[in-house]
Amino acid sequence: MNRRILIAFAFALVPLAHEVLAHHNMTAIFDFNDRVTVTGTLSKVDWRNPHIYLTVDVAKAGGAMETWQAEGPSPTWFRIRDIGKDDFANSIGKSFEVELSRARDKTPTGLIRTITMPGGKVVSACPQNC
Amino acid sequence: MRNADRKAIVFAIAALCLALPIRSVGQELSKEATDKAAAEARAKRNAQTFELNASTIVFYDRTGKRIGGPIGERAMYGGAVISPDGSRVAVVKADLPNESADVFVLDISNGATTRLTTSARTEFVQGPIWSPDGSKIAYVAMRKGQEGIYLRAASGQGAEELVWRNTGAFINLSDWSTDGKTLTFSFSDMKGGTLYTLPLEGAPDRKATEIFKTELQLFGSRFSPDGRFLAYTVVDKTNKGEVFVRPADPAASGGPWQLSEGAIGVPFFRRDGKEIYYLARDRAVMAVDVTTATSFSFTNRRVLFKPQGAVPEIVRAISADGERFLVVPPPRGPQLQQLTIFDRTGSVLQKIGEPGLYSQPAFSPDGSRLLVVKNDVQSAQADYWTIEIATGKPTRLTNDTFGKAAALWSPDGKYIYYSSFRNGDFPIYRRLTDGTGGEEFIFQYTPGAFLGPSDISPDGKWLICDAGGYVITVPLTGDAKSRKEVETLRDEYLNTLGRLSPDGNFIAYRSDEAQPERGEIYVRPFKAATAETGDGKWRLSKDGVVAMLHWHGKEVFWRGLNLESNDLWVMAVEVTTSPTFSVGTPKMLFKLPGPIGGNLGNISRDGQRFVFAVNVSAPAPTTAPR
Repeated sequence: MNRRILIAFAFALVPLAHEVLAHHNMTAIFDFNDRVTVTGTLSKVDWRNPHIYLTVDVAKAGGAMETWQAEGPSPTWFRIRDIGKDDFANSIGKSFEVELSRARDKTPTGLIRTITMPGGKVVSACPQNC
Repeated sequence: MRNADRKAIVFAIAALCLALPIRSVGQELSKEATDKAAAEARAKRNAQTFELNASTIVFYDRTGKRIGGPIGERAMYGGAVISPDGSRVAVVKADLPNESADVFVLDISNGATTRLTTSARTEFVQGPIWSPDGSKIAYVAMRKGQEGIYLRAASGQGAEELVWRNTGAFINLSDWSTDGKTLTFSFSDMKGGTLYTLPLEGAPDRKATEIFKTELQLFGSRFSPDGRFLAYTVVDKTNKGEVFVRPADPAASGGPWQLSEGAIGVPFFRRDGKEIYYLARDRAVMAVDVTTATSFSFTNRRVLFKPQGAVPEIVRAISADGERFLVVPPPRGPQLQQLTIFDRTGSVLQKIGEPGLYSQPAFSPDGSRLLVVKNDVQSAQADYWTIEIATGKPTRLTNDTFGKAAALWSPDGKYIYYSSFRNGDFPIYRRLTDGTGGEEFIFQYTPGAFLGPSDISPDGKWLICDAGGYVITVPLTGDAKSRKEVETLRDEYLNTLGRLSPDGNFIAYRSDEAQPERGEIYVRPFKAATAETGDGKWRLSKDGVVAMLHWHGKEVFWRGLNLESNDLWVMAVEVTTSPTFSVGTPKMLFKLPGPIGGNLGNISRDGQRFVFAVNVSAPAPTTAPR
């Protein structure tokens, strides 16, 4: 059962429900109401538990580059969905799009909601990260 | 084939494989076969989960007497709300295979069920509420990754209508005003809570109105029948809840008024606006006389009734007339736990004290005491206690409302180390086991990150911890605030339950490396100087591991994966660490009728005694009013 359903049932089963926590406090770090879509070049993949990290280099207006860190679900989450590290590693250097819930500290980091792979395949991290 | 024969063959094959280093046992099944096995295992896990959690719905009357029989089929019920006329119940039911949840309407008179929503896989619905005339139901649904508030006819006819799209997450939809014009909901996360109202007029660009914001968590806002006030529950930073009332108009003066002295539930207004109900910490149903005629005032807070028995049932919903109280009883009836010590064959050696609400029993290093979590229904607290095995003498170690997890004895038995859930974080503390003194801060990891101690090195210098999917090691020397963790076992696999060998030179752990959603035990060298792992990796198990990993003497123990029943399987294998690491043949020591929990303290250090909190039926609740 996914995290959000657990949340829903926590509300019902324990009247004073608390947020079901992931490996760290998502809502403390990321603002689910502040979303951003980042398009750039995938430059690095950190494929470790408890969360993968994708590094995306984005060209800003004027030509300056900005490096975004996108945090995703665990490698196991992807394994269960038949998506492996190679699917990302083979995309390094290619165009990449991620929709993120932005970090509250406004640094160029965010929690992945959806990923659009270079071939157009869309991977949704919802409802875990939504 | 008899089960025992099958297991013998399985273990014989396992022994052949396990004697070899890990790299030689990899290619076992094709991907197709692995996927099929995983799907079958998932289906069996779902069946077990359903069996353990599915229940029905019953009602109490205003005196605490049960009315009629159970309603509805056995299901995993989430939210349940009684219709305004008291004839139906809107419920959320979980669909485990689909990883979803949907809203259904049950007719109380005949149990007839109407399905209202059908969610896609991994999507869900929560928080149903009734329109004041009972013709519609509003609910929160995740649709294509977007959360929103939707409406649908309670008859199930027609399509669902999106009322408000949430750009964020975690809506707690809780009430519909009596005039039918406004909804109320809240958001709560670790940054705090915000209470809103939402006008239903003005589609499609409805704007939610922020009523107030707090750094605490809040839930369950309810309109007074005249729509002028909102009652809600706030949880403070020590995990204590209280019910408050404040004006529904954020510009209005007055309030908030605190109605409760300890609450564990959300408030309910009676239809005439003259009573508010909520649950006290001891699960009693409280009633408070209120008036909203001019300003808000309240008086005569009292116990309406308290469900009886050692484990009182929890009222989930209350009818608008204040006459019916909805309960989802525990599936196997009220349960207590008897602390019981077994020998290596599964025979009972000793029962400790009387049954109570116990969990996580753990032997002290010298085997003379138990550490347990004891739940107190009266205070809604869970605290650590030690119990002398010979005399049954208890000693209280903690007395607070914080959540607690993963307690360990120090090697010398003087301290327990434990994780404490506070304000969204899991700092680790330690306390003396003689019950004296206060808690001592040990370590704080990444904000909000779960951290649970799983072992302490024999020399007492390192604390091994689960960090929610990987294993870190914390030095216990030096200043607590400057301690820096070592990532001992962090890779692409879920690594948990790090346990050191008695000599401290190896670390055993559970990992899903071989197959996702299934753990096996592996061993790697552990460098005591740096808390890093060395070269070499050995797999000890082959048929799945759930929990309860221990390494005592020359034996490694664990709880075996049992997808056929809830029985607990205690497994063991002999290992040698010198001159090289080698593994014997895993065997089942014994099994116990489940459901029963296993943790990291169940086995005495001599490997001869096993302690579990065994479920026993509690006295059935009576219907006597209070």
